[in-house]
Amino acid sequence: MNELLCVTGLKRTFGARAAVEGIDMSIKEGRCVALLGPNGAGKTTTIRMLTGLLPPTSGTIKFRGEGMEDDFRRHIGYLPQAPVYYGWMSGRELLVHAGRLCGLSAAAAEARAAEMLERVGLSDAARRRVGGYSGGMKQRLGIAQALVHRPRLVIMDEPVSALDPIGRREVLALMRELKEETTVLFSTHVLHDAESVCDDVIIMADGRVAAAGAVEELRSRYRQPIIELRVEEDARSVAWADEMADGRRKLPHVDSAEHRDGSLRFAVDDLDAARIALMQELVREGVKAARLEAGFSTLEDLFLKVVEGRGNLARTRS
Amino acid sequence: MAIWLVLVRKEVVEALRSMKAVWLPLVFILLGAMQPITSYYMPEILKHAGNMPEGSIIQIPVPSAGEVLAQTLSQYGTLGLLIVALAFMGMISSEINSGTASFTLVKPVGRTSFFLSKWAAALLLVWLSFAAGFGASWYYTVLLIGAPDAGAVVQGFLLYGLWLSFVVTLTLLFSSLLRSPAGAAFASLGTAAVLAVASSLFPHAWQPGLLAGIAAEAVQAAANPKATAVVMITAAATALAAVLACLSMKRKALP
Ligand SMILES: Nc1ncnc2c1ncn2[C@@H]1O[C@H](COP(=O)(O)OP(=O)(O)OP(=O)(O)O)[C@@H](O)[C@H]1O
Ligand SMILES: [Mg+2]
Repeated sequence: MNELLCVTGLKRTFGARAAVEGIDMSIKEGRCVALLGPNGAGKTTTIRMLTGLLPPTSGTIKFRGEGMEDDFRRHIGYLPQAPVYYGWMSGRELLVHAGRLCGLSAAAAEARAAEMLERVGLSDAARRRVGGYSGGMKQRLGIAQALVHRPRLVIMDEPVSALDPIGRREVLALMRELKEETTVLFSTHVLHDAESVCDDVIIMADGRVAAAGAVEELRSRYRQPIIELRVEEDARSVAWADEMADGRRKLPHVDSAEHRDGSLRFAVDDLDAARIALMQELVREGVKAARLEAGFSTLEDLFLKVVEGRGNLARTRS
Repeated sequence: MAIWLVLVRKEVVEALRSMKAVWLPLVFILLGAMQPITSYYMPEILKHAGNMPEGSIIQIPVPSAGEVLAQTLSQYGTLGLLIVALAFMGMISSEINSGTASFTLVKPVGRTSFFLSKWAAALLLVWLSFAAGFGASWYYTVLLIGAPDAGAVVQGFLLYGLWLSFVVTLTLLFSSLLRSPAGAAFASLGTAAVLAVASSLFPHAWQPGLLAGIAAEAVQAAANPKATAVVMITAAATALAAVLACLSMKRKALP
């Protein structure tokens, strides 16, 4: 597969603060990539640099696709995190204007505008002033203006964060359609959205790439066996659980234990051996187990680990 | 070029929809027409103002047609410039602040084109307003006072138009440099005021501030030998301000 975009050593500082601290990434043609990270991770800053709005402090951004030697902006469509458009234009006028700025002829821009309005479900509001649109309508108009010139790469900054559950589902469905046609890069802080539409994930934290790869690959690379145990609320069981979580009490095959959502969560190295050791311990200590579950960590765990560990996953791995 | 025209068209439509293209000419027409009318009726007004001792003879000479037009220009030099600065102070900064500039500039649009389209639209609007206003002043002057020399009027009009263009360009330059629209108006009016004051303190230093005075002399058919040089200097300063604005746009981080 062809590489469409290649970023090396991208860095941006605001005053003394580094918002993005030297990231490398590449996007292959035809993939749908999620840029996942908590608030303040540097997603928007990265995207603004990719779109040419913000000059990087250092680093390079290269668009490599065939026929992209001219102005790369001709081939990208951008939906900002908080889109603002000329309020005095009607929805249709705005799309025609956007199309003409991208070099479409007047007739072609009109045709595309009508087509896109239909597609995002704004045909009925096409003649109304954009200033009177609701937040969700603005978001859909934003998607339409990003697609009006059939870009090779669509970049969306938090396309669903500001929407209600229905709007969210609609936009995610639209994105699933879209990824069949073009390459998509979108940012989000919701893992579920990323998992449900994208092929690749780039997890950012504190201005760095903490983990990147195909969803399946990440899932298996960072998969760790875990056991979750919920105990009754009696004094003896609670005291035992606290000792486990503090690390005062150790068990074979158990690497670590922590409280999470009212349960004890053990990261283990061998699921079967750890399970036997744990059950023997429960009997020996007279701890009343309410529920015991063995399984593997999910992407959610990876994401939380990255976020809580403040991006040091990448550093310990490399 | 095609994209530049699309941008200019957007600016023009915006000026029409926001009524800027209506009230700016109206203000210029009002200021322009008032000058000959008040000059003509001033003796009448004073006569009816009362509290004059009985029998006192009022001798206020009605000014010549050229003088009235020169007074019109001096009105434009104060209120006119203020209105122009207020009209264009946010043309660039408010688009940058609100994020609509980002909408345009992620498209394959050069930042120079972006500035030049705004500059062209602003100049077009100002020249039209000034022409309408100065035309109104000329019309009422001919009607009430007498016909000035047409060649002199046109020459004064062109000279003063250049001074206005310089101030508009300064406003756009500061609008691209400063975040605050009010700051841009203040900076451009301040610069224009300093140049105007300097022109009376140092009449031998050649700079754009002299142009307003030269235009006022021109409508009274008094040729100034410095005119050509000052016109060239002002045109160069205007071009320089436009180039600086383009450079400031080029290195700008957009939201
Ligand atoms: N113009 C700016 N001036 C100073 N600091 C900035 C600026 N823009 C961003 N930052 C800082 O850079 C860091 C990254 O911000 P960014 O907007 O990229 O985060 P984000 O990942 O998009 O977060 P969110 O999910 O909240 O949108 C933040 O700490 C922010 O305070
Ligand atoms: Mg953001």
